[in-house]
Amino acid sequence: MPVIPRSTYYDRNYRQSEALIRARRPYLIKNALTGLSLFCFAVGVYSFTINAVAQDEFEDVIVPDKPVQSAHAPNASSNKMAGSAS
Amino acid sequence: MSAPVNSVSSTKTSDTHPTGGRSVSSAVQGRSTAYPSSHIHASGHALPHDREHRILESNNLFHSWSNSPIPKIRQRAAFTKQYAHCPHPSHQATRTAINPDDPELRKPKTGGQAPAHVKYECPDCGIPVYCCEEHYMDDYEAHLEICDTLREINEDDHDLSSGRFFPEFTYPPRNMEEQLVNFTNWDTLLYSREFAAINQERSLRQATRLLTYPLTIGSVLHELSPYNIRRGGRLTVEGLKSLSALRYTVHPPRTGAGKDIKGLRMNPPPVRIFILGARAESSLPRDVWVQLTHLFHRVQFHLIFIGPESMMNRDAEFPLPERTPLNPFGAVVEDRIDPQLKISTFVEYYHTLHKANLFYPYDPYFDCFVLFHPGLGHPASSHEWEETLPLLLETKVPIIATGYTEWDMHRDLNWVKEKVGGEVDLLLEPGENIFRSLRWDLNDLDPQDISCGNWGLWAFRGKRYEATQKESEQ
Repeated sequence: MPVIPRSTYYDRNYRQSEALIRARRPYLIKNALTGLSLFCFAVGVYSFTINAVAQDEFEDVIVPDKPVQSAHAPNASSNKMAGSAS
Repeated sequence: MSAPVNSVSSTKTSDTHPTGGRSVSSAVQGRSTAYPSSHIHASGHALPHDREHRILESNNLFHSWSNSPIPKIRQRAAFTKQYAHCPHPSHQATRTAINPDDPELRKPKTGGQAPAHVKYECPDCGIPVYCCEEHYMDDYEAHLEICDTLREINEDDHDLSSGRFFPEFTYPPRNMEEQLVNFTNWDTLLYSREFAAINQERSLRQATRLLTYPLTIGSVLHELSPYNIRRGGRLTVEGLKSLSALRYTVHPPRTGAGKDIKGLRMNPPPVRIFILGARAESSLPRDVWVQLTHLFHRVQFHLIFIGPESMMNRDAEFPLPERTPLNPFGAVVEDRIDPQLKISTFVEYYHTLHKANLFYPYDPYFDCFVLFHPGLGHPASSHEWEETLPLLLETKVPIIATGYTEWDMHRDLNWVKEKVGGEVDLLLEPGENIFRSLRWDLNDLDPQDISCGNWGLWAFRGKRYEATQKESEQ
């Protein structure tokens, strides 16, 4: 008779039996605390990483206004940028 | 691999000590199944063939002892009414008190009413406890302390005779070595050893009553034992020394042994566990004792039951073998139980066998003495231990002892110290045995005396001196 091997520690609906809960009792609190600390660590790593690779905020940088360009001096400024030819 | 439980008749108190004999109440009463009881239904429902044999349903287990549907229990009730005395303080004392809580202490030594046998059954627990209703009502507070436990005993005894199928009496085979056993408490032990789940408390009580004997020994000898040298761990430094020697043998390293000629290896001799003063534990089903060997791998065990009452409840095995030169004390030897287990039973006092050098030499790496509730200091049995005890201490082999109560164990320890003038090392401090029987047993001779198997555990050994004084020449 093909029967799926089933542990007697779980009932027909796959709920933990009393024997299993009794066997787990010495470790329930320690396991819960370990789980909680691991969860907090994972969440901490996620939050740090997301924080670290997020786009930078440049609201505090003051960008000076574009300088006013007079009609007689555009060539002079471009020469300066190209380096001294002399 | 589960074998049917042998039907062993329950022991009535056949002891000769009227003072609450310790030889009572240990034998198992299991139902002999004529069909292989190997399949355990996952949900624990009764198998179809259970219906025909069922006498009592599980909600119908409480019956008054004298009016029980089970004849055996009615017999026990008649026995109790014939021999047990009413504990009410107005009667005269009939025996010396065994412990400070004994109701006999309240009774006057002389004067007072004539001692009466119990007749009146408490309506809440069903056990005859007092001689009349007036005494019962008068002493109600004292009775209340044990009433719940007595009721539990009542129901458990009816449960054993109820004819149901007992899935808790099927035992698992050996696990692989890497599957470690967890010795924290009964539940973790049964789970890590892969016993079928025992969900009902009553079933757990019935199962632990038998399993306490091998697993108490196993829990001390195993390296994962719950007793350690930390504060509260109860093991002393001397205990660690003795047990480490034994653990060296019971946890041997792998040797590369195999099944062919090249795999032949020298094997050490078996570990000998001498169970002294064996009474009902020698009649435990062999499936139960084999559970001890399943905790250990690659090591063989030889259990030796020694004591005048070691063939108790084993009437089918009589007559004893003849005394021949190869078997000088007519021991019953069972060597076909398991490849790792051999059981011998001697119906003799230990000191006889010791003086005959039958088991000589004793090796603290291989041998161990176990005393299950020996009653070393008990007034009724201590005289039988007087001659044996010095010989045990002389071997310097660890002696594991159990007791019924804390007071019991301390009395035994004090008796031992007194007998040998303090030349004894304590290996394990007296305290509650983690693997005690969870089921309480009733002493038919005295319903006030309830006990559970192996409640407490302690261990001792003869004092070893590394160097002794050289006696000065006269």
